[in-house]
Amino acid sequence: MKKMKFAKIIFIIFALFPFYLSAETAEEQGLRIAKASYENGRGFTDMVSDQLMILIDPKGNEVTREVSGKTLENLDPNDGDKSLTYFKTPKDVEGTVMLSHTHISDDDDQWLYLPALGRVKRISSSNKSGAFMGSEVAFEDFSGTDYRKYEWKFLGEEMENNETFYKLESYPNYENSGYSKRISLIDNLNRTYKVDFYDRKGELLKTLYLEDYVLYKDKIWMANTLKVENIQNKNITIFKWLNRELDVGINKKDFEKSSILRLAD
Amino acid sequence: MNLEDRIEIFGKILVNHRIKVILGSLLIIFTISFGMKFLETPSGYRGFVEEDFKYYKDVLDLEEKYGNIDVLTFVVKPEKGNIFQKDVLSLIHELTEISWQTPYSSRVSSITNHQYTTVDGDDISISDFVDDVDSLSTNEISNLYNAAVLEDAVVNFVMSESGKIGLVNINLEMPEDIAFQEPISFAWEQKNYFEERYEDIFVGVAGSAQFSHNFQSTSESDASKMYPSFLLLIIILTYILLRSVVASIISLIVIILSILPSLGAAGWLGFEVQPPLITAPIIILTISLTHAIHMLSIGLTNMTEGMTKNDAIIESLKINFIPIFLTSFTTAAGIAGINFGDIPAYSEMANTVVIGAGIGFILSVTMLPAMFSLLPINARKRKSYVLEVLKNLGELIYKFKERFVIVITAICIAVFSLLPNLHFDDYFSTYFDRVPEWLEVKNTVDPEFGSSFYIFSDMQSNEPDGITSPEYLKKLDEFESWLLTQPEVADVSTISDVIKTLHKNMNGGLNEYYAIPDNKALIAQYLLLYEFSVPYGMDLKNQMTADKSDSRILIRTNNSTSMESVAFNARVDEWVNENISPFSTNGVAGIPIMMPQLFVENTRGLVIGLLISFTFIIMVVGISLQSFRYGIISIVPNIIPFILGFGLLTLATDMVTAAHQFAVLISIGLVVDATIHFLSKYKKALAINLPPREAIQYCFRFVGYPIIVASICLFSGFLFLTQSMFYYNFIIGGMCALIIMIALLIDLLLLPALLLIFGKKV
Repeated sequence: MKKMKFAKIIFIIFALFPFYLSAETAEEQGLRIAKASYENGRGFTDMVSDQLMILIDPKGNEVTREVSGKTLENLDPNDGDKSLTYFKTPKDVEGTVMLSHTHISDDDDQWLYLPALGRVKRISSSNKSGAFMGSEVAFEDFSGTDYRKYEWKFLGEEMENNETFYKLESYPNYENSGYSKRISLIDNLNRTYKVDFYDRKGELLKTLYLEDYVLYKDKIWMANTLKVENIQNKNITIFKWLNRELDVGINKKDFEKSSILRLAD
Repeated sequence: MNLEDRIEIFGKILVNHRIKVILGSLLIIFTISFGMKFLETPSGYRGFVEEDFKYYKDVLDLEEKYGNIDVLTFVVKPEKGNIFQKDVLSLIHELTEISWQTPYSSRVSSITNHQYTTVDGDDISISDFVDDVDSLSTNEISNLYNAAVLEDAVVNFVMSESGKIGLVNINLEMPEDIAFQEPISFAWEQKNYFEERYEDIFVGVAGSAQFSHNFQSTSESDASKMYPSFLLLIIILTYILLRSVVASIISLIVIILSILPSLGAAGWLGFEVQPPLITAPIIILTISLTHAIHMLSIGLTNMTEGMTKNDAIIESLKINFIPIFLTSFTTAAGIAGINFGDIPAYSEMANTVVIGAGIGFILSVTMLPAMFSLLPINARKRKSYVLEVLKNLGELIYKFKERFVIVITAICIAVFSLLPNLHFDDYFSTYFDRVPEWLEVKNTVDPEFGSSFYIFSDMQSNEPDGITSPEYLKKLDEFESWLLTQPEVADVSTISDVIKTLHKNMNGGLNEYYAIPDNKALIAQYLLLYEFSVPYGMDLKNQMTADKSDSRILIRTNNSTSMESVAFNARVDEWVNENISPFSTNGVAGIPIMMPQLFVENTRGLVIGLLISFTFIIMVVGISLQSFRYGIISIVPNIIPFILGFGLLTLATDMVTAAHQFAVLISIGLVVDATIHFLSKYKKALAINLPPREAIQYCFRFVGYPIIVASICLFSGFLFLTQSMFYYNFIIGGMCALIIMIALLIDLLLLPALLLIFGKKV
């Protein structure tokens, strides 16, 4: 009798074994995909590019702003990248330089060199969730690409344009975010295809489309066009990366506050 | 065959086919009434203007560039002291956070999330003005006032200058054709929740969103509160006047059945249930009631005099058909004049009443006789004291006819001299003064902030990035300074305030730098910096265009009358014409500009409408009496009630609002009814060769009682409208009731005297 019972238990354990193997929770699965997607774009060491920002209002009027930028990858897993942005147009802001040190858990550090003032100003602001330069994009949309800033959840697979995507939900785990959640579609190469942003009251605010993916160095996928459609105010913002080059060997010192004045000229 | 014979044949057909007539009418009535389900919920103040109204288009243009102008505001006021107390700030902080959850909200601003800049050399730190209330000492909290009062964006926008009131402003981005119901319900939940938690702090809901929602809520509360009690009033009134249960039931059925298809037709026509439309059923019901009473009381009298039921009602039809037709016609003609005005909600109300008057007429001469014939009615003899009084009155007037004319003329002249005290004007902000919650908020906000309303101006530099030029900003500043000298303006906020603050903060926070720098590049760079450091929902998109060519000026207004606002608007245009070049602007726009302009245009239209309606009515009276002389005589008793009515109005106010004007058009067609009845009877009496003295008695005997009864019905109906929560309905009700009562007195006292002196056999 006893043996029978033991065998039964063994049988049940074996029968359930395949389930144990796949018993990754939706949160774990979400985090795994998000991490893979994030790491898809990592390993570039440093990067230079020119960028166009095109603002389109509901009537179709367009405004284009040009900047160029340098980014330094931070290999420290507990800290964010550093970046330099040079503003080119409109003419009045030409020569303005912005240096950002992003952080995973703390507020970002930001310095701005204003040529007309001839000084570098350090801006500390605990809350930069607003859209910048009249665009539909907020700072947190950029600095927030790091998967560690969110809680993730795998929602399932979804078909769109005859392609199957992983559907992930993420919630910001930092204060002052403008969003209550985001829903991302990620393709089977772990490239983010689309992100829906929900505002604080849980309504769809805008949709980000990542387009023109290019494979750099045979391993890094980067989207060279970002299109943000604001659902509520019907404005569209398009970011285009031109002449993107990776691993060009930029001097790390360029990304220090003391270098801004030198680099500005 | 003359008309009377035709009516008699018509009456006989009705009586013989009474079942078919009743069923046929019901079928048609219910088919039309089905349209009621298409009646639209009111779209607030926007539904009060024509879509192509110039001053509304100005608002739409602004909204296309800078987003919706509608704001929902929480008003927070502690019972004692200013808002810089721990519990008050906690409340505002919490309310600000929860306000982001408001449906359709796009921005939230208050004293707690105001972006406060502190400067330490080249380190600029931007943070919420009040974040962690609990960590602040009592001393620190009370010191906050001194800092807050220096902030441009705070004073008069999220805090009153005295610090006694704090506001939480929620900008709403409403999709087209969506009512404010959801955000308002949300706001009221918060208000109730916070008021319960903090006993000594008042939390009110204000702003243009609440103003707009009041149109819907007063319609709803008026309908649900007024209709049942009005019906009760009508039941009582009908029974008192007819003294017959069955006759009362008939009249009730007929009058109610005349309302349903009117509202049905209103639905088919796509009308909105704005507060004015709420009055339509009451007016229709009252008018139909007078018809029913005329028909039934004469029918009942005929029965007591020994006629059979069918003969009694056919005879009543013969006597009443033409007068009921004429009075319905003149009533409709008067009210239709409202279409010359510029407020669609009133045109819709007027057209509904016109339809109702038509349906009321048809039912009174078809279904009502058919039902009278079908149902068991016992007429009881009743003594009439009224007839006795009227007989004596007739004698009195005959004896003293000249004195009656002289005394009444003297009164009219005396009252007429009061009329110059009146002028056309109104306060759009008083629309909802009869709603206690709104009035309480208004009385809290207005003394401290001027009013709850904003106006806007779009100033264009005419080139991309032009708003960063010092010339543009200085012009903006100049415009702002001029605006601040105007009594209609409480405060002004412009992008140049933002630049001045930035310039100060970039220069160590020194006050001497609170000015517009002379360097365009510098300004552009400041703005770039500013745009990189704003929190969610605080970007400048509602203040400037994406290409930075135009910016928006925000103006908080003081309460002004319509005429003051119109004059202010004209002064703005004049200043702009002379001073704004090389930049440009279309002047100012917003609710406090649009509503006053609407008032002016509407008044202009109504004056024309009144002239046309009145001429038309007098012509109809003259033609129906087939006499020029009687047409002229009829003018006198129809004008005097208005002179006396408006003369008496001077005791209460000096403003003739749009509501007073509507009241004239609504009552003109009703006032004329009694005159038609009286004159036609007098003419008939002379035609059968009665001497004038007997002719007057004849009139009193036959139409005196019905005139009194009809006037009492109308008076009660209109007086009932004064229960409305919508101020204009209140005025219309009161004014119409007053005019109808005066008209009754004039018809009984002056008209007979005039006829005795000037009336001739024709």
